[in-house]
Amino acid sequence: MFKILKKELLSFLKDKRAVMLTFLLPTILISVFALAFGGSGNDDIQKIPLLVCDQDNTSITRQTISDIDSVKMIEVIPCSYDSGMDLVTRGKKAAMLVFRKGFSDSVSAMTSFPCDLHYDASQTQEMGIIQSLLGRSMYSSMGKAMRNKSMKMNKDSIVLSIDKQYPGMDKATHEMVVKNINKNFESASSGMNTDAQSKMKLNTVSVVSAKVGNLGLVQAVAGTAVMMLLFSLTGMGGGLLDEKEQGTLKRLLYSPVHPAQILLGKMACSIIVATFQLAVMFIFASLVFHLQVLDKIVPLSIIILATAFACSGFGVFLATIARSRAQLQSMSTLIILSMSVIGGSMVPTFIMPQWMQNISVISINYWSIQGFYDILYRDLPIGGIFLERVCVLLIIGIVLTLLAFRFFRKNVLSLD
Amino acid sequence: MIEVKDIRKSYGDTQAVKGISFSINDGECYGLLGPNGAGKSTTINMLSTLFPPDSGEITINGLDIKNAREEVKKILGVVPQEIALYSNLTAWENMLFWGGLHSIAKSELHKKAEELLALVGLSDRKNEKVKAYSGGMKRRINLACALLHSPKILLLDEPTVGVDPQSRNMIFELIEQLNKDGMTIIYTTHYMEEAERLCDRIGIIDSGVIVAQGTLDELKQKSEIKDVIVMECGQTPDQSFLSSKLNLQVKVTDHTAYIESNDSKKDLTRCVIGCSDAGYEVHHIDIQKANLENVFLKLTGKQLRD
Repeated sequence: MFKILKKELLSFLKDKRAVMLTFLLPTILISVFALAFGGSGNDDIQKIPLLVCDQDNTSITRQTISDIDSVKMIEVIPCSYDSGMDLVTRGKKAAMLVFRKGFSDSVSAMTSFPCDLHYDASQTQEMGIIQSLLGRSMYSSMGKAMRNKSMKMNKDSIVLSIDKQYPGMDKATHEMVVKNINKNFESASSGMNTDAQSKMKLNTVSVVSAKVGNLGLVQAVAGTAVMMLLFSLTGMGGGLLDEKEQGTLKRLLYSPVHPAQILLGKMACSIIVATFQLAVMFIFASLVFHLQVLDKIVPLSIIILATAFACSGFGVFLATIARSRAQLQSMSTLIILSMSVIGGSMVPTFIMPQWMQNISVISINYWSIQGFYDILYRDLPIGGIFLERVCVLLIIGIVLTLLAFRFFRKNVLSLD
Repeated sequence: MIEVKDIRKSYGDTQAVKGISFSINDGECYGLLGPNGAGKSTTINMLSTLFPPDSGEITINGLDIKNAREEVKKILGVVPQEIALYSNLTAWENMLFWGGLHSIAKSELHKKAEELLALVGLSDRKNEKVKAYSGGMKRRINLACALLHSPKILLLDEPTVGVDPQSRNMIFELIEQLNKDGMTIIYTTHYMEEAERLCDRIGIIDSGVIVAQGTLDELKQKSEIKDVIVMECGQTPDQSFLSSKLNLQVKVTDHTAYIESNDSKKDLTRCVIGCSDAGYEVHHIDIQKANLENVFLKLTGKQLRD
């Protein structure tokens, strides 16, 4: 038995791929998942960025902004109205707080509360946290400002009334009376009255369509579809390695076919399969889960084609840098799962730490899923942000295809 | 006509081909005989335009393969060492695919595919997936796929590896027929009997160089290998007596005389009579013909399957 055990251990340790799959791959994946969802283990609070546009620019708004900034979980990012709207519309930031012109005067007069919170409805969790923290901070800050203003007005009118009723009061007595009035006002109620609270209701405005789809469903379908597409296309790209191993690639090269045609043929097939795969997934989601796609056929087709192209480029690229099927399998599992985590295939990017959200743009998943959000959730028109995402996917596809050509010549055609 | 002049090819520090030259006439069957790793496949790959030689020159029908790869590909048919077929496709689908790469008109391609399937004896199984075929059947389809565009020159890289005797014979007959019809053939193998049967001329390749080339008779002469008449006698013959009587080189061990002859058929009767006249009773006679194996051993100092 000991000899068998020894032989088994020796065989296992000599199989670098098996060792990698057993130890390295899970370690890397645990690291990626942990960083995405659990942080690094210290107690640092992850701050949620909040764009703030101060159009009033008064001492009251500045004080209010400072109070918001002092909240542990919020990081205030000053911005102009246009740039802030752009960032929220793109889904880069969850919300923008706008203090409109005349905010301070309205607060002083306790007439209205000209302050809007523009938000991306797809980032529900961040929005929930922001609204809760903002409410607390702003009620406290505004309540103080309003109280100070109203108390000053009341105190002034009482002192004026005493002066009128007792015109001959000596200076020392007058000072004592005023001091007592101040003392009593300071110890007065610290809370804000209900009327003020009702006037201070924060006006929330969704920057995307009023028609909001089922975010969870869009996330589930788009996230899964892109991840599975990457796996299946990498498998297809691996066909190149099979052809090399079986000798059919060599035979293709004997024939009057240019090497570039071989790669292009493979890619074209990948794109067609990918397009159908995505289409079938969305049709299935539409039929079974009632995902609204029928009125979005054109933009959906555009993002599907762009995704298919980028993923095909990825599949072929990986196949050209791998030396064998086994190597391709290990490499693709690691890369695709990592991309899927950071790119939002498994969970939405907005629940991740900011730094991970920043690096999510390096994944195909991110651009594709955001494109699907744009159409199926944010209801954005074709153009602007949506087209930008499509262009990024196309650029990724082109770059990966060019790299695939380079490595195809260097690694695959060498036939050694 | 194929002209190969001093071609060389290295992979990193390993020099696979170290200056090979030969020429092959139209309609000739030329064999490249050598052990594994001798440089046969590298030479075939250079001839088939898969990659150019590091130095030297290859011209096929007057076309330099470096400058006229596409034209050369049109007149070349290559049967690779591997069974380079799509095993999930049927034989018929494979043939249409490989033939289609040569831009053959559909009707012509269908006709040619049917003809070749009949020739390799697989017409009745053309709609079966290749993965269901035996090794020999796969080899036959592998060969047929190289003939769809009616090449003038056929390069065969060890086409009978792992083949049953029936398929092997069918492949030999097909190659002989193609050669008879005027096709130039280059055949690499490490089986002596294949080279002996099929090839008009043979180049013996070892460690990246051609150590000798010519017809089998020329190679025998060059290597000074002779037939050996083996005569087992009732008693041990006298070596010098027998040698002077027959005027041939004779070696004697125990009761057996080994008599070297340039023409064993002609000398056999003379040897038997000579032995009888000398009073040696001949019990058993055998002729060890000079063959490529002996030639190879003599020329390279090693067995072909080393």
